[in-house]
Amino acid sequence: MPIRVLSPLLVNQIAAGEVVERPASVVKELVENAVDAGAGRIEVSIENGGLDLIQVADDGTGIRADELALAVASHATSKIADPGDLEAISTMGFRGEALASIASVSRLRLLSRPHDVPEGAQIEVEGGTLRPVRPASAAPGTTVLVRTLFFNTPARRKFLRSARAEAGRVSEVVEAIAMAHPAVGFRLEVDGRATIDLPAGQDRRARVVEILGRGLEPELLEIGDETGGEVLAMWGLVGLPRIAKATSKHVRLFLNGRFVTDRTVLHALRESYRGLVEPHRSPVAALFLRVDPHDVDVNVHPAKSEVRFRNPSMIHGLVHRTVLRRLRQADLVPELDLARMGGATPDPKLGGASLGAPSQRSEGHAGPSWTWSGSSAARGPTAPASWSGFDLDAAREVMAGSAPTGPASAEALPTIRFAPEVMQVQRRYLVTQDEHGIVVIDQHALHERVMFERLRERIERGPLESQRLLVPATAEVDAGASEAIDALEPLLMRLGIEATPLGPRTVAVHAFPSLLFERGVEPAPFVQELLTRAADEGLPHEPEAALAEVLDMMACKAAIKSGDRLSESELAELLALRETVERATNCPHGRPTSLRLTVRDLDRQFGRS
Amino acid sequence: MKVVCDRAAVLDALGMASSVVSGRTPSPILHCVKLVASDGRLSIAATDSEIAVRIGVAQVDVQDDGDALVPADKLVQIVRASEDATLTLHAQKQALHIKGADSHFKVLGFDPKEYPPIKDFPESKADCIVNAAQFRRLVTRSLFATAVENSRYAINGVLFERSGRKLRLVATDGRRLAVARGECDSAADGDTRCIIPTKALNILNRLIDDPDASVKVSVDSHQVRFLIGDADDAAMLTSNLVEGSFPPFEDVIPKDQDKRVTIDASELTSAVRRAALLTNQESKGVRLAFGDHRLVLSSRAPEMGEAEIQVEMPEYQGEPIEIGFNPSFIVDALKVIDGGPVMIELKAPNKPGVLKVGQDFTYVVMPVSLA
Repeated sequence: MPIRVLSPLLVNQIAAGEVVERPASVVKELVENAVDAGAGRIEVSIENGGLDLIQVADDGTGIRADELALAVASHATSKIADPGDLEAISTMGFRGEALASIASVSRLRLLSRPHDVPEGAQIEVEGGTLRPVRPASAAPGTTVLVRTLFFNTPARRKFLRSARAEAGRVSEVVEAIAMAHPAVGFRLEVDGRATIDLPAGQDRRARVVEILGRGLEPELLEIGDETGGEVLAMWGLVGLPRIAKATSKHVRLFLNGRFVTDRTVLHALRESYRGLVEPHRSPVAALFLRVDPHDVDVNVHPAKSEVRFRNPSMIHGLVHRTVLRRLRQADLVPELDLARMGGATPDPKLGGASLGAPSQRSEGHAGPSWTWSGSSAARGPTAPASWSGFDLDAAREVMAGSAPTGPASAEALPTIRFAPEVMQVQRRYLVTQDEHGIVVIDQHALHERVMFERLRERIERGPLESQRLLVPATAEVDAGASEAIDALEPLLMRLGIEATPLGPRTVAVHAFPSLLFERGVEPAPFVQELLTRAADEGLPHEPEAALAEVLDMMACKAAIKSGDRLSESELAELLALRETVERATNCPHGRPTSLRLTVRDLDRQFGRS
Repeated sequence: MKVVCDRAAVLDALGMASSVVSGRTPSPILHCVKLVASDGRLSIAATDSEIAVRIGVAQVDVQDDGDALVPADKLVQIVRASEDATLTLHAQKQALHIKGADSHFKVLGFDPKEYPPIKDFPESKADCIVNAAQFRRLVTRSLFATAVENSRYAINGVLFERSGRKLRLVATDGRRLAVARGECDSAADGDTRCIIPTKALNILNRLIDDPDASVKVSVDSHQVRFLIGDADDAAMLTSNLVEGSFPPFEDVIPKDQDKRVTIDASELTSAVRRAALLTNQESKGVRLAFGDHRLVLSSRAPEMGEAEIQVEMPEYQGEPIEIGFNPSFIVDALKVIDGGPVMIELKAPNKPGVLKVGQDFTYVVMPVSLA
């Protein structure tokens, strides 16, 4: 085939492949255009997942009749004019190829009327072929109708999912853009049914909460760092660890008002939650970053969904620091849900100990009928670990077991905080009290968490202290696992483990962390398990993540086990450690170490309130 | 059975016997001690089915021979709480009556015939006879180096090795090795080699109270028996042996150490103890820098601070060396050698260190890495 210049249609179709992947990408381009046009309200409707129809209507500035043809031509835009503008992009769109690309793979109708013009005009494009501009009656603003998307590119059509799945993606796109523009009203109709309806003029917090779900509000922590001013600032809402989701879809990141995905920020966020949520889960978050446009390149990907920071570590630091600080302030001890303790609910109305937030089942932890609810979160942001909100009278009653009336002695109170009495239940749980009520602690999970934090702190200062063995301990491993040793060497060195292959299925351990020895962990079985895990499941590529995973394994092995009897001094020591370690509320796997039964809930259950 | 006995002597024997009794067994019989009065003496026996003891009490007046099987803890409590000089123990049916000047206890027990039989010491098959003080020293100098009981994979025992009249007790926890050597007063021909559980040796050390007495040892294929003393108050200990083989420890004792110094044990103990004050769970190691006619011990715990101790050491031979050790491992060994000079031998920072007291005691200890 001779070389020839591609036809404009083909060029646009190829470009469309980059920008217009699926109905949701069409919606994204059109809605962003509407936002850039200064719309106060944007209405989107789709039919059959957007394949039959996508309509986006706005009340923005509108396009004059004589510019309509230009609007659907490629690389035509009103948003930038000279190369200097690329350095500091402030509008959502700028490439000037979206409409042309969409028009090349659909039947598109563009209908518009500027506010100062009495009559509107429209242009139709079918598979890239322009029809003449005609006058049309229209409300002020612009409406774009996209019909039979991908009618001329059947291959693309084949790759689409079900109408419902595509509609779901459209919905995510509209939500994301709506979050970034709380002042603009949004409405999405799917096959004639409104699924999103957001009023104009909301503030950012209200908008985010409304999109995440109002029931979730008590579970959200507000974060902010404005110290960088115009150049670098951040605001957002992050969810408590217990509402973490199975996918990172619920992390929404906005950079200068644009919805983007960025691995740097996602990583920083996950780092902040490390140890608080289970590794395969992802926190809920809406983060709004303001970065000097000169410090970020948004022109990396045609869909503008990826960005490149000039100084990624600064961004990483800001996000990590800000989120971490906020989480540390929060009271993360989940509450026991008395309402589900079975049988004991005297009145269903009173039984609502939880605030109706979605609660997670934790059968294995707290017995068959206990769950933990999110109601402590409501207090978390305002009064973490303080005396405020503490019902003194109720506490006295509970402590003294006395009648509701009659003043209890005030001297009894300080003991709540400073000399917690503790009871070991079934050699597994510790029961004590704090200023909010009764705290139930999983002894293994708490000690594991304590060990983990101490190991992490220690390893930052250098490799773990390593004790050499008189005679190498030999571990039997699967073929392949012994080869993994070479790759793992830098990691093993930091951990204070010295191991060499002795044969295809045998590994010799020459040195092992003294700390693990002290805790009765034997070298051979540990190294065997470590190598097997590395060979079977693979450790994370990133060295810090791999390290954390192995430290976690160490902490688990070294920790007090469920079933260990603890002496009084050991109990006291463990509780004291709880105070010293950050995030003592969750074990390194993210499971809770403690649950709280508040005096308030007890009051409710006993019919006092 | 009816016996008038000296309360202190019985309490002593009961205390020792009850330390064998395991609280964990579900069998009520095994929570008991068995009392037997015969031949003008009282013997108290206890077992946890792995280890058995039988302790003779001579300070008794046996009025009627017989036996009784009663819960150990109650009997100990009663005898301990009593203030009488003598008590009368009177078995009737399956109950034991304990009578003092103003007290009468009746403790319900079991049929003595149900108790597992405890064989006598096989005098004819004695393996060797060792002076009690000597035996206790051998046990003390090895036992400390065994692994703590709850670690699952280590050997919970001490190697007992006799070759002619030469005796060697060896223990290790994988990070250090203690070899204590001594001699028998008399011994059968040939060699003996077995692994004795740590619990048995702990009890044995408690049973030795007269340093001039003798300890007779008899080993068969799966049990070891000790007879301590030979009068009416002799005590017998029987224990199952630890199965399995002891690590090849001879290879572990280094022969080519090129740096050595002799130092006073108590001086070194003091220095190591003080240096260990500023260590923590995550960084236990103490740094020992040998050279320049002195030893400098130092430690560092990041959030606490640092320590440095200097010991004059004019006779040090060899290149300077810095090596890290777990301080407890050093102190443990120094504790059992009763002061006096100790020889330290070293080679390299990642090679074992050796402590020696003459030919009697060799201790190999592996170093830790230093941060």
